[in-house]
Amino acid sequence: MRPLFVLIGMLLALTAPAGLAASSAAAAPVATEAVEVTFDRNRVRTALGGRFTLETKIVNPGGAQTDPILAHLNVASLTSEVYVDPEDWSADRSKEVARLRPGQSTSLSWDIQAVNAGSFDVYVVLLPNGPSTAGEGPLVVSPPVHLEVAGRRTLSPGGVMPVVIVVPVLLGLVAAAARFRLRGTG
Amino acid sequence: MSTSVSAPSVEGTQRATRIDAQGWRVVAGQECRDLWVSGRGPFLIFGFSVLLSGVTYLAATNLDINFLEQREAVNLTLQMAVAVGVLVTLVVSADGLSGERERGTLESLLLTPVSRRAIVTGKLVAALSVWFVAFVVTVPYLWVLGRGVSIVVQAVLLGLLVGTLVALGLAALGLLISAVSTSNKVSLAVSLFLLLALFAPTQLPSGLPQGWFFDVLARLNPVTAALHYISAVLVSGHAWTRDLSYLVSPILTVVLAGGALIVLAPRIVRLHAGVSGE
Repeated sequence: MRPLFVLIGMLLALTAPAGLAASSAAAAPVATEAVEVTFDRNRVRTALGGRFTLETKIVNPGGAQTDPILAHLNVASLTSEVYVDPEDWSADRSKEVARLRPGQSTSLSWDIQAVNAGSFDVYVVLLPNGPSTAGEGPLVVSPPVHLEVAGRRTLSPGGVMPVVIVVPVLLGLVAAAARFRLRGTG
Repeated sequence: MSTSVSAPSVEGTQRATRIDAQGWRVVAGQECRDLWVSGRGPFLIFGFSVLLSGVTYLAATNLDINFLEQREAVNLTLQMAVAVGVLVTLVVSADGLSGERERGTLESLLLTPVSRRAIVTGKLVAALSVWFVAFVVTVPYLWVLGRGVSIVVQAVLLGLLVGTLVALGLAALGLLISAVSTSNKVSLAVSLFLLLALFAPTQLPSGLPQGWFFDVLARLNPVTAALHYISAVLVSGHAWTRDLSYLVSPILTVVLAGGALIVLAPRIVRLHAGVSGE
């Protein structure tokens, strides 16, 4: 019996520091690895110049509070012919997310305008932004939203010509007639 | 005795009220005739249509501008129409009283059996007629740019509602300035400066992130607030009720400037010392 107690005592002595370390790690803020980020849809079809809003939901399913996070939106072209400048697509691509408690979630809105035609993927990456976790990995990336942007010429120059010419001509004739009539009566 | 004294007094008051109620219509009718039949109204609207034709042609042919979605092209044209339509309205109203004073015709107008409140109301209505004609001229341009995306009716209603609010507020301001200005030049210069100051923020880059102070200024300025409301509904597709707070400052301008004009009219619509035309 005595060797059994000794064995249990030794096991406890060996596992206790690991348990303490685990509990202290759970209490301290963690980086982004435990966080999940998803979009409200996975596919968008629009025309060149079209505006749309994507919503992302960031959830902390873990048991520890996260450090502050920076959510960054990116756009990538799936064809090599189209060059993408993400700044043109969205004016506000970086948003700060405050600490998330265990089980807490938050939503972010991204206003996007399609400025190129083609196939693209839009995704959000979460970067640790806390005093102790900034610069630490790994990063969390959302599933991509696939964009199909149709290139179309929205306005026809020929279609506007009648209005562009006829309206000023008619109003000019009316103004001239009023002036001549005034001279005649004067 | 008291009956014999009060009866003519009541009758006199009723008669004065009747004359006042008809008076603004008489003044508005005469002002509109002066403006549209023998005045510069048709030429102002002709210039307005040439400008809108240029903007519409560019929106449809210029590759850079044609990049815009059709909704944005309609929005661009509507905003231009509101801006220039209000400018022309302000110019006409700023000339309303100081111009009459300088041409020496205000004296005869003040001698007519019409109250000064009726005079300013009539002049305000005449100035607004410029905005309404400019708006009617805008409709074909909105139609040709917006057909196919079902926003023409929405754009027309928005332009009518928001543009009329801004035009009414600034026309009342223009008449107030005109009433207190010592000369027509001063009145026109102050009014144009005011308009430029109100429109200047609309030329700032809109894509940049803007702080709360900029947002407060944009909401306080009736012009930027009104144009923001138009963009929010037309381009961003917001519901009409979502951004109603942006219409507070245009409505306040109408209430304050219009109220001040009507209340102060008996004191500020008057002849100034000096010789006409100086």
